[in-house]
Amino acid sequence: MIKKILQSIKIIKGGDWFIIILFCALITISTKFLWNLPEGQYLEIYKNNEILATYTLNQKITKIINGAIGETKIIIDHGKVRFSSAPCAKKYCIHQGWINKANQIIICIPNEISISILGGKKNYDSINY
Amino acid sequence: MTLSTIKITDRDHQIAKLSAIAVALSLVEFFFPSPIPGVKPGIANIIILYTIFKFDLRMGIWVSIIRVFVTSIILGSFLSPTFFLSLSGALFSLFSLIIFKSLSPKYFSLISFSLIASLAHIIGQFIIVRLWIIPHNGIFYLLPIFILSAFIFGLVNALVTNKLLQLNPKK
Repeated sequence: MIKKILQSIKIIKGGDWFIIILFCALITISTKFLWNLPEGQYLEIYKNNEILATYTLNQKITKIINGAIGETKIIIDHGKVRFSSAPCAKKYCIHQGWINKANQIIICIPNEISISILGGKKNYDSINY
Repeated sequence: MTLSTIKITDRDHQIAKLSAIAVALSLVEFFFPSPIPGVKPGIANIIILYTIFKFDLRMGIWVSIIRVFVTSIILGSFLSPTFFLSLSGALFSLFSLIIFKSLSPKYFSLISFSLIASLAHIIGQFIIVRLWIIPHNGIFYLLPIFILSAFIFGLVNALVTNKLLQLNPKK
């Protein structure tokens, strides 16, 4: 059985491996580009689980939010957003970098500040109306 | 008055026999349920690859085109969108094989040719679908699935063809 499998692998020549690798790369690239999540439109900033503010992502602006232990600086830059400074010790929120896709979030637990991106149209329901 | 006679060569007989097998395989595939709609293994292409490697590319082109026409007439889809999808896939595959014909057989075996042709098949079908059948960019969302299936079935078909060629070596 193993001998048979080895025999069938033997017929694959150098050029074939090249084509196979190209093909795998094509699958990966097409999946990455075509199965992209929709980009977000709005940013919601939460402080201790309550919505503090909502901004459109289509602007360049720096916001300073007062959290539980200090000031957090959030930068919005035309479709993407990040934490640029925070008073927390580990700085996980800053290391997460830019986010731009709908439903992505960054949470800073020590300062009780979190942000989340909403996609497409902002839907109102009975809770946030 | 000149008398013109059509001389039926041995080659014509070969093309007819191989086309008949290819049509039969297409029909088997048609009646076999597919787990994902639209994804088919394309087992008739085993015969076309076999023809190309056992005989030559010209004969493969004949078998491929005859298969597309005869299968559609039998299934009643002649000149319908299904027929044009199948024809464009076949033409793109053959065209890609003509382009890459000069690849050295020292480095490239039939696996490469099978994979190139299966990819060209998908591209040809997607062009027809995008331009004519469903003119919406949303269909490109399905492209990764079809490229993946082209890869798997291209590889499997090539290995089966290789086995067939080992059983019936070139004269």
